[in-house]
Amino acid sequence: MSVVSILQVMHDSEFGTALRESLYMFPLIEGIHLIGLALSVGLIIVTDLRLIGGFLKEVPVANVLKQLRPWLLAGFLITFVSGILLLWAEGPRMWAIPVFPIKLILIVLAGLNAIWFEYKYGKNVQDWGTHLHFPKGAKVAGWVSLVSWTSVVICGRLIPYLEATQH
Amino acid sequence: MSTETIFKQLQDSSLSQSISQLDSITGAFAQLLHITGFLLILTGVLLVNLRLIGLGLNQQKIPSLAKATKPLVIYGLILLLFSGLFTFLPSATLYYPNPAFWLKFILLGLALFIQFTLYRKVTSIESPNRILAGLTSILSLTLWFGVAFAGRAIGFLN
Repeated sequence: MSVVSILQVMHDSEFGTALRESLYMFPLIEGIHLIGLALSVGLIIVTDLRLIGGFLKEVPVANVLKQLRPWLLAGFLITFVSGILLLWAEGPRMWAIPVFPIKLILIVLAGLNAIWFEYKYGKNVQDWGTHLHFPKGAKVAGWVSLVSWTSVVICGRLIPYLEATQH
Repeated sequence: MSTETIFKQLQDSSLSQSISQLDSITGAFAQLLHITGFLLILTGVLLVNLRLIGLGLNQQKIPSLAKATKPLVIYGLILLLFSGLFTFLPSATLYYPNPAFWLKFILLGLALFIQFTLYRKVTSIESPNRILAGLTSILSLTLWFGVAFAGRAIGFLN
């Protein structure tokens, strides 16, 4: 079964149709998806900038990671769930826009980078986070995250724009 | 002169005509700058408001966190202003009847008023009154997130 046919089944389902045709639900979910970005991507970028030494330099990196993590994960959950719901309603149309698959690839890349960072540096941040110079790998992870999440937002914003100019 | 006439004149202005002759890539770029500005403001305001209610970066002093995030808010506002004008001018008459457009600007006015009065005052104190800090935080977050939400709704009602 191809991606398009799975998206088509979701699109044609009762739930997908109800979401798409709802006067309030679809715009509400889109709005939630957008403002969830401030919690998810916004706070991810704050931690990335801290890792690369561009923001909140006087705050220990362990504090930034530990105290923002719950908010960041909550924001990510909001953005992810609302994104799935949008895909459920409009999947085939979104898939037809070339930036959408690119956005998904970038999210996977950013996710793998986060898992690698957590595995390699997250556990012992108390040890290296207090040093003046961070391990090179931690900085690289910060840059990869910064670039990939910024690109995800760019691709995401281009979706409705390209969709509107296509029709 | 009615507001509708002003909107019509803005749309007919030479600046507006020049913008509408630009290609769609420039339009997309303006949209990207608009969302970047919005993310900068919301993230900056969110960081300080989480601290005000004691739920984030609690070891950090409130005034120094407010100072660190101030450039995010200022640069965000500048980006929003220019990219917003760029999007608004060529289609001003399209926005006029849109209730979400007016709601966005009422909320924006209130958010800016709170930002430069109550928020500025509370975040200049190291240990503000907890109730006042909590109220400021709720008010600030509700208004700024409301601006973003109303902004997104414009596209659905146009």
